Amino acid sequence: MLRIFFAVLTGLFGAALLHLIIILSLPHFTGKDAATRIEAEGDLNNFYLLTDAYDDAGLANGDPFVRTAVCSFDVEDAPVHFTAKGKVPFWSIAIYDSASNEVFSMNDRTSVGGALDVLAGGSIQLTDLRKNLPQELQQTILVEMARPDGYAVLRTLAPQTSFDESARNFLSEAGCEQFTTR
Amino acid sequence: MFRFPLFILVTLIVAFGGGIMITLYALDATQGFGAIKLGAWEAFPALQTVDADPYAKSHRARAGKLLYGSAEGLTFTASVDDEGARLNAGCRYRISGQTPPARLWTLFTADNGGNPAAMKPGLPSALNSWTVLRQPDSSFSIEISAGAQPGNWLALPQAGTFRLVLTLFDTPTAGSSGVIDLAMPKLTKTGCGNA
Repeated sequence: MLRIFFAVLTGLFGAALLHLIIILSLPHFTGKDAATRIEAEGDLNNFYLLTDAYDDAGLANGDPFVRTAVCSFDVEDAPVHFTAKGKVPFWSIAIYDSASNEVFSMNDRTSVGGALDVLAGGSIQLTDLRKNLPQELQQTILVEMARPDGYAVLRTLAPQTSFDESARNFLSEAGCEQFTTR
Repeated sequence: MFRFPLFILVTLIVAFGGGIMITLYALDATQGFGAIKLGAWEAFPALQTVDADPYAKSHRARAGKLLYGSAEGLTFTASVDDEGARLNAGCRYRISGQTPPARLWTLFTADNGGNPAAMKPGLPSALNSWTVLRQPDSSFSIEISAGAQPGNWLALPQAGTFRLVLTLFDTPTAGSSGVIDLAMPKLTKTGCGNA
Protein backbone atom coordinates (compact mmCIF):
# COMPACT_ATOMS: atom_id res chain seq x y z
CA MET A 1 0.00 0.00 0.00
CA LEU A 2 2.83 2.31 0.93
CA ARG A 3 4.50 1.49 -2.36
CA ILE A 4 1.52 2.64 -4.43
CA PHE A 5 1.55 5.88 -2.44
CA PHE A 6 5.20 6.41 -3.30
CA ALA A 7 4.48 5.58 -6.95
CA VAL A 8 1.75 8.26 -7.06
CA LEU A 9 3.96 10.74 -5.23
CA THR A 10 6.79 10.24 -7.73
CA GLY A 11 4.24 10.64 -10.49
CA LEU A 12 3.10 13.96 -9.02
CA PHE A 13 6.66 15.25 -8.93
CA GLY A 14 7.02 14.20 -12.55
CA ALA A 15 3.76 15.97 -13.41
CA ALA A 16 4.96 19.20 -11.79
CA LEU A 17 8.25 19.01 -13.65
CA LEU A 18 6.51 18.31 -16.96
CA HIS A 19 4.13 21.22 -16.30
CA LEU A 20 7.07 23.61 -15.84
CA ILE A 21 8.82 22.30 -18.95
CA ILE A 22 5.70 22.69 -21.09
CA ILE A 23 4.92 26.19 -19.80
CA LEU A 24 8.48 27.43 -20.32
CA SER A 25 9.02 25.87 -23.73
CA LEU A 26 5.55 26.33 -25.26
CA PRO A 27 6.18 29.88 -26.62
CA HIS A 28 9.02 28.52 -28.78
CA PHE A 29 7.08 25.92 -30.72
CA THR A 30 3.33 26.52 -30.69
CA GLY A 31 3.26 27.57 -34.33
CA LYS A 32 0.08 29.45 -33.48
CA ASP A 33 1.58 32.63 -32.08
CA ALA A 34 0.88 36.03 -33.58
CA ALA A 35 4.27 36.33 -35.36
CA THR A 36 3.78 33.01 -37.17
CA ARG A 37 0.22 33.87 -38.15
CA ILE A 38 1.27 37.22 -39.59
CA GLU A 39 4.10 35.59 -41.54
CA ALA A 40 1.49 33.23 -42.98
CA GLU A 41 -0.45 36.22 -44.36
CA GLY A 42 1.97 36.59 -47.25
CA ASP A 43 5.16 38.39 -48.29
CA LEU A 44 7.29 40.49 -46.00
CA ASN A 45 7.11 44.29 -46.11
CA ASN A 46 3.48 44.57 -47.00
CA PHE A 47 0.53 45.63 -44.85
CA TYR A 48 -2.30 43.08 -45.02
CA LEU A 49 -5.78 44.27 -44.07
CA LEU A 50 -7.70 41.98 -41.74
CA THR A 51 -11.44 41.40 -41.80
CA ASP A 52 -14.01 40.80 -39.07
CA ALA A 53 -14.00 37.06 -39.80
CA TYR A 54 -10.94 34.91 -39.18
CA ASP A 55 -8.83 34.50 -42.32
CA ASP A 56 -6.77 31.44 -43.32
CA ALA A 57 -3.89 32.55 -41.13
CA GLY A 58 -6.20 32.77 -38.10
CA LEU A 59 -6.25 36.54 -37.69
CA ALA A 60 -9.20 38.92 -37.40
CA ASN A 61 -9.93 42.48 -36.36
CA GLY A 62 -11.19 41.24 -33.01
CA ASP A 63 -13.25 44.35 -32.24
CA PRO A 64 -16.24 45.49 -34.31
CA PHE A 65 -14.95 49.07 -34.52
CA VAL A 66 -11.25 48.37 -35.03
CA ARG A 67 -9.69 48.05 -38.48
CA THR A 68 -6.31 46.33 -38.47
CA ALA A 69 -3.43 45.86 -40.90
CA VAL A 70 -0.41 43.67 -40.16
CA CYS A 71 3.05 43.54 -41.71
CA SER A 72 5.94 41.24 -40.92
CA PHE A 73 9.42 42.50 -41.65
CA ASP A 74 13.09 41.72 -41.31
CA VAL A 75 15.68 44.45 -40.73
CA GLU A 76 18.66 42.18 -41.38
CA ASP A 77 19.55 43.89 -44.66
CA ALA A 78 17.95 47.31 -44.39
CA PRO A 79 15.74 49.25 -41.96
CA VAL A 80 11.99 49.27 -42.48
CA HIS A 81 10.09 52.52 -42.90
CA PHE A 82 6.45 52.65 -41.76
CA THR A 83 4.38 55.41 -43.27
CA ALA A 84 0.70 56.28 -43.36
CA LYS A 85 -1.42 59.36 -43.45
CA GLY A 86 -5.07 60.12 -43.76
CA LYS A 87 -8.06 61.55 -42.00
CA VAL A 88 -9.04 59.00 -39.37
CA PRO A 89 -10.26 59.70 -35.83
CA PHE A 90 -7.56 57.52 -34.30
CA TRP A 91 -4.66 55.37 -35.35
CA SER A 92 -2.03 53.45 -33.47
CA ILE A 93 0.91 51.26 -34.37
CA ALA A 94 2.69 48.64 -32.32
CA ILE A 95 5.95 46.99 -33.32
CA TYR A 96 6.70 43.55 -31.88
CA ASP A 97 9.71 41.28 -32.13
CA SER A 98 9.42 37.69 -33.33
CA ALA A 99 8.68 36.49 -29.78
CA SER A 100 5.62 38.82 -29.76
CA ASN A 101 7.13 41.15 -27.18
CA GLU A 102 6.28 44.81 -27.62
CA VAL A 103 9.22 46.87 -28.86
CA PHE A 104 7.46 50.16 -29.54
CA SER A 105 3.96 51.55 -29.72
CA MET A 106 2.51 54.94 -30.41
CA ASN A 107 -0.70 56.62 -31.49
CA ASP A 108 -1.61 59.65 -33.56
CA ARG A 109 -1.42 62.07 -30.61
CA THR A 110 2.28 61.39 -30.19
CA SER A 111 3.05 61.63 -33.91
CA VAL A 112 4.48 64.56 -35.84
CA GLY A 113 1.65 66.32 -37.63
CA GLY A 114 -0.70 63.35 -37.35
CA ALA A 115 1.12 61.20 -39.91
CA LEU A 116 2.77 57.85 -39.25
CA ASP A 117 6.51 58.09 -39.87
CA VAL A 118 8.52 55.43 -38.02
CA LEU A 119 11.72 53.68 -38.99
CA ALA A 120 12.74 50.40 -37.36
CA GLY A 121 16.26 49.07 -37.71
CA GLY A 122 19.16 47.38 -36.02
CA SER A 123 21.43 49.42 -33.76
CA ILE A 124 24.30 49.57 -36.29
CA GLN A 125 21.97 50.65 -39.10
CA LEU A 126 20.48 53.39 -36.92
CA THR A 127 23.90 54.64 -35.83
CA ASP A 128 24.93 54.88 -39.48
CA LEU A 129 21.76 56.76 -40.32
CA ARG A 130 22.09 59.19 -37.41
CA LYS A 131 25.63 60.13 -38.45
CA ASN A 132 24.30 61.53 -41.70
CA LEU A 133 20.54 61.82 -41.35
CA PRO A 134 18.84 62.02 -44.76
CA GLN A 135 16.48 64.94 -45.32
CA GLU A 136 13.37 62.72 -45.46
CA LEU A 137 14.12 61.24 -42.05
CA GLN A 138 14.47 64.55 -40.18
CA GLN A 139 11.17 64.06 -38.36
CA THR A 140 11.08 60.28 -38.36
CA ILE A 141 10.91 58.33 -35.12
CA LEU A 142 13.76 55.82 -35.05
CA VAL A 143 13.11 52.51 -33.30
CA GLU A 144 15.88 50.10 -32.44
CA MET A 145 15.19 46.40 -32.92
CA ALA A 146 17.23 44.07 -30.72
CA ARG A 147 16.36 41.15 -32.99
CA PRO A 148 16.09 41.57 -36.77
CA ASP A 149 12.68 40.05 -37.45
CA GLY A 150 9.37 41.22 -36.12
CA TYR A 151 5.95 42.43 -37.07
CA ALA A 152 3.95 45.63 -36.96
CA VAL A 153 0.25 46.05 -36.25
CA LEU A 154 -1.42 49.22 -37.51
CA ARG A 155 -4.89 49.95 -36.22
CA THR A 156 -7.48 52.58 -36.82
CA LEU A 157 -11.01 53.02 -35.57
CA ALA A 158 -14.29 53.35 -37.43
CA PRO A 159 -16.70 54.40 -34.67
CA GLN A 160 -19.48 54.79 -37.24
CA THR A 161 -20.04 53.13 -40.61
CA SER A 162 -19.27 56.37 -42.44
CA PHE A 163 -15.64 56.12 -41.27
CA ASP A 164 -15.18 52.72 -42.91
CA GLU A 165 -13.94 54.06 -46.22
CA SER A 166 -11.36 56.46 -44.79
CA ALA A 167 -10.17 53.73 -42.42
CA ARG A 168 -9.72 51.33 -45.33
CA ASN A 169 -7.92 53.97 -47.39
CA PHE A 170 -5.64 54.80 -44.47
CA LEU A 171 -4.65 51.16 -43.99
CA SER A 172 -4.35 50.17 -47.63
CA GLU A 173 -2.10 53.15 -48.41
CA ALA A 174 0.13 52.51 -45.40
CA GLY A 175 3.71 51.60 -46.25
CA CYS A 176 6.00 49.03 -44.66
CA GLU A 177 8.96 49.30 -47.03
CA GLN A 178 12.66 48.66 -46.74
CA PHE A 179 14.49 51.94 -46.47
CA THR A 180 17.47 52.42 -48.76
CA THR A 181 19.60 55.54 -48.93
CA ARG A 182 20.39 56.73 -52.39
CA MET B 1 5.49 -10.68 -9.73
CA PHE B 2 3.96 -7.97 -11.90
CA ARG B 3 3.67 -5.44 -9.11
CA PHE B 4 6.86 -3.55 -9.85
CA PRO B 5 5.98 -2.76 -13.51
CA LEU B 6 2.54 -1.75 -12.23
CA PHE B 7 4.07 0.87 -9.93
CA ILE B 8 6.14 2.26 -12.77
CA LEU B 9 3.02 2.40 -14.94
CA VAL B 10 1.13 4.28 -12.22
CA THR B 11 4.01 6.75 -11.88
CA LEU B 12 4.16 7.38 -15.62
CA ILE B 13 0.39 7.77 -16.00
CA VAL B 14 0.24 10.25 -13.12
CA ALA B 15 3.25 12.15 -14.41
CA PHE B 16 2.28 12.50 -18.07
CA GLY B 17 -1.51 12.51 -17.73
CA GLY B 18 -1.48 14.84 -14.76
CA GLY B 19 1.25 17.07 -16.14
CA ILE B 20 -0.43 17.60 -19.49
CA MET B 21 -3.88 18.06 -17.98
CA ILE B 22 -2.92 20.65 -15.38
CA THR B 23 -0.95 22.53 -18.05
CA LEU B 24 -3.92 22.67 -20.42
CA TYR B 25 -6.18 23.65 -17.53
CA ALA B 26 -3.81 26.39 -16.39
CA LEU B 27 -3.51 27.84 -19.90
CA ASP B 28 -7.26 27.88 -20.47
CA ALA B 29 -8.20 29.15 -17.03
CA THR B 30 -6.08 32.27 -16.90
CA GLN B 31 -4.02 34.61 -19.00
CA GLY B 32 -1.33 34.64 -16.36
CA PHE B 33 -0.68 36.61 -13.21
CA GLY B 34 -0.40 40.39 -13.35
CA ALA B 35 -4.14 40.97 -13.77
CA ILE B 36 -5.74 44.12 -12.46
CA LYS B 37 -9.29 43.62 -11.29
CA LEU B 38 -11.68 46.54 -10.98
CA GLY B 39 -15.06 45.21 -9.88
CA ALA B 40 -16.10 42.71 -12.53
CA TRP B 41 -13.54 44.00 -15.05
CA GLU B 42 -10.18 42.36 -15.55
CA ALA B 43 -7.21 43.58 -17.61
CA PHE B 44 -3.66 42.43 -18.28
CA PRO B 45 -1.60 45.57 -18.94
CA ALA B 46 1.73 43.74 -19.20
CA LEU B 47 0.54 40.78 -21.30
CA GLN B 48 2.23 41.97 -24.52
CA THR B 49 5.53 42.98 -22.93
CA VAL B 50 8.76 41.11 -22.31
CA ASP B 51 8.00 41.35 -18.58
CA ALA B 52 4.99 39.06 -18.87
CA ASP B 53 5.23 35.95 -16.70
CA PRO B 54 5.83 32.51 -18.29
CA TYR B 55 2.14 31.59 -18.03
CA ALA B 56 1.14 34.76 -19.84
CA LYS B 57 3.75 34.16 -22.54
CA SER B 58 2.53 30.59 -23.07
CA HIS B 59 -1.06 31.74 -23.16
CA ARG B 60 -0.46 34.47 -25.73
CA ALA B 61 1.70 32.18 -27.88
CA ARG B 62 -1.12 29.65 -27.94
CA ALA B 63 -3.97 32.13 -28.46
CA GLY B 64 -2.09 34.07 -31.15
CA LYS B 65 -4.09 37.26 -30.63
CA LEU B 66 -2.93 40.66 -31.78
CA LEU B 67 -2.50 42.42 -28.45
CA TYR B 68 -2.70 46.14 -27.89
CA GLY B 69 0.55 47.94 -27.25
CA SER B 70 0.74 50.13 -24.18
CA ALA B 71 0.27 53.35 -26.19
CA GLU B 72 -2.64 51.86 -28.13
CA GLY B 73 -5.15 50.74 -25.56
CA LEU B 74 -6.09 48.48 -22.71
CA THR B 75 -8.73 45.75 -22.90
CA PHE B 76 -10.94 44.99 -19.93
CA THR B 77 -12.96 41.78 -19.95
CA ALA B 78 -15.89 40.93 -17.68
CA SER B 79 -17.12 37.36 -17.46
CA VAL B 80 -18.97 37.85 -14.16
CA ASP B 81 -21.21 40.60 -12.81
CA ASP B 82 -20.42 42.70 -9.74
CA GLU B 83 -21.82 39.97 -7.45
CA GLY B 84 -19.47 37.43 -9.02
CA ALA B 85 -22.14 35.43 -10.87
CA ARG B 86 -21.25 34.26 -14.40
CA LEU B 87 -22.78 36.41 -17.15
CA ASN B 88 -25.62 34.45 -18.75
CA ALA B 89 -27.65 35.27 -21.86
CA GLY B 90 -30.82 34.36 -19.96
CA CYS B 91 -30.42 37.38 -17.66
CA ARG B 92 -30.55 41.15 -18.04
CA TYR B 93 -27.69 43.43 -17.03
CA ARG B 94 -26.99 47.13 -16.73
CA ILE B 95 -23.65 48.90 -17.14
CA SER B 96 -23.67 52.33 -15.54
CA GLY B 97 -21.15 54.98 -14.62
CA GLN B 98 -18.00 56.28 -16.30
CA THR B 99 -14.93 54.75 -17.85
CA PRO B 100 -11.42 55.79 -16.81
CA PRO B 101 -10.08 58.63 -18.97
CA ALA B 102 -9.55 57.54 -22.57
CA ARG B 103 -9.81 59.19 -25.98
CA LEU B 104 -12.22 56.53 -27.22
CA TRP B 105 -13.67 53.31 -25.93
CA THR B 106 -15.52 50.40 -27.47
CA LEU B 107 -17.75 47.85 -25.77
CA PHE B 108 -19.01 44.62 -27.33
CA THR B 109 -20.60 41.36 -26.29
CA ALA B 110 -18.21 38.49 -26.85
CA ASP B 111 -18.31 34.73 -26.75
CA ASN B 112 -16.28 32.82 -24.17
CA GLY B 113 -13.18 33.08 -26.33
CA GLY B 114 -13.29 36.88 -26.32
CA ASN B 115 -14.32 37.18 -29.99
CA PRO B 116 -17.38 39.21 -31.00
CA ALA B 117 -20.45 37.06 -30.35
CA ALA B 118 -22.42 35.65 -33.26
CA MET B 119 -25.59 37.71 -33.39
CA LYS B 120 -28.68 37.87 -35.58
CA PRO B 121 -27.96 40.47 -38.26
CA GLY B 122 -29.28 43.91 -37.40
CA LEU B 123 -29.09 43.55 -33.64
CA PRO B 124 -26.71 45.91 -31.86
CA SER B 125 -23.79 43.98 -30.37
CA ALA B 126 -21.34 46.84 -29.92
CA LEU B 127 -21.22 50.43 -28.74
CA ASN B 128 -18.49 53.03 -28.56
CA SER B 129 -17.91 56.35 -26.86
CA TRP B 130 -19.13 58.25 -29.93
CA THR B 131 -22.44 56.43 -30.33
CA VAL B 132 -23.42 55.92 -26.66
CA LEU B 133 -26.21 58.15 -25.33
CA ARG B 134 -25.15 60.02 -22.19
CA GLN B 135 -26.72 61.67 -19.15
CA PRO B 136 -26.18 65.42 -18.66
CA ASP B 137 -23.18 64.62 -16.40
CA SER B 138 -21.66 62.54 -19.25
CA SER B 139 -22.16 59.24 -17.44
CA PHE B 140 -24.00 56.51 -19.30
CA SER B 141 -26.23 53.54 -18.65
CA ILE B 142 -26.35 50.59 -21.03
CA GLU B 143 -28.99 47.86 -20.89
CA ILE B 144 -27.79 44.41 -21.91
CA SER B 145 -30.59 41.95 -22.56
CA ALA B 146 -32.05 39.63 -25.14
CA GLY B 147 -35.18 41.80 -25.48
CA ALA B 148 -34.95 45.28 -26.99
CA GLN B 149 -34.69 48.22 -24.57
CA PRO B 150 -34.98 52.00 -25.03
CA GLY B 151 -31.82 54.07 -24.74
CA ASN B 152 -28.48 52.28 -24.96
CA TRP B 153 -29.06 48.60 -25.67
CA LEU B 154 -26.71 45.73 -26.37
CA ALA B 155 -28.29 42.51 -27.65
CA LEU B 156 -27.27 39.13 -26.30
CA PRO B 157 -26.50 35.82 -28.00
CA GLN B 158 -29.26 33.19 -28.09
CA ALA B 159 -28.23 31.29 -24.99
CA GLY B 160 -25.29 30.36 -22.82
CA THR B 161 -22.61 32.36 -21.09
CA PHE B 162 -20.94 35.37 -22.61
CA ARG B 163 -18.35 38.04 -21.87
CA LEU B 164 -18.22 41.78 -22.17
CA VAL B 165 -15.13 43.42 -23.62
CA LEU B 166 -14.41 47.09 -22.96
CA THR B 167 -11.36 48.52 -24.71
CA LEU B 168 -9.97 51.92 -23.76
CA PHE B 169 -7.96 53.52 -26.57
CA ASP B 170 -5.14 55.97 -25.88
CA THR B 171 -5.59 55.81 -22.15
CA PRO B 172 -3.06 56.93 -19.53
CA THR B 173 -4.12 53.93 -17.46
CA ALA B 174 -2.41 51.44 -19.77
CA GLY B 175 1.08 52.55 -18.91
CA SER B 176 0.80 52.75 -15.15
CA SER B 177 -0.43 50.82 -12.20
CA GLY B 178 -2.48 53.90 -11.23
CA VAL B 179 -5.42 52.13 -12.82
CA ILE B 180 -6.12 50.55 -9.43
CA ASP B 181 -7.52 53.83 -8.14
CA LEU B 182 -9.79 54.35 -11.11
CA ALA B 183 -13.47 53.54 -11.23
CA MET B 184 -14.86 51.28 -13.92
CA PRO B 185 -18.57 51.27 -14.77
CA LYS B 186 -20.75 49.10 -12.56
CA LEU B 187 -22.10 45.87 -14.03
CA THR B 188 -25.28 44.83 -12.22
CA LYS B 189 -27.80 42.09 -12.89
CA THR B 190 -31.31 43.49 -13.17
CA GLY B 191 -33.19 40.21 -13.49
CA CYS B 192 -33.39 36.80 -15.08
CA GLY B 193 -35.91 35.06 -17.29
CA ASN B 194 -39.30 36.72 -17.42
CA ALA B 195 -39.16 37.96 -13.84
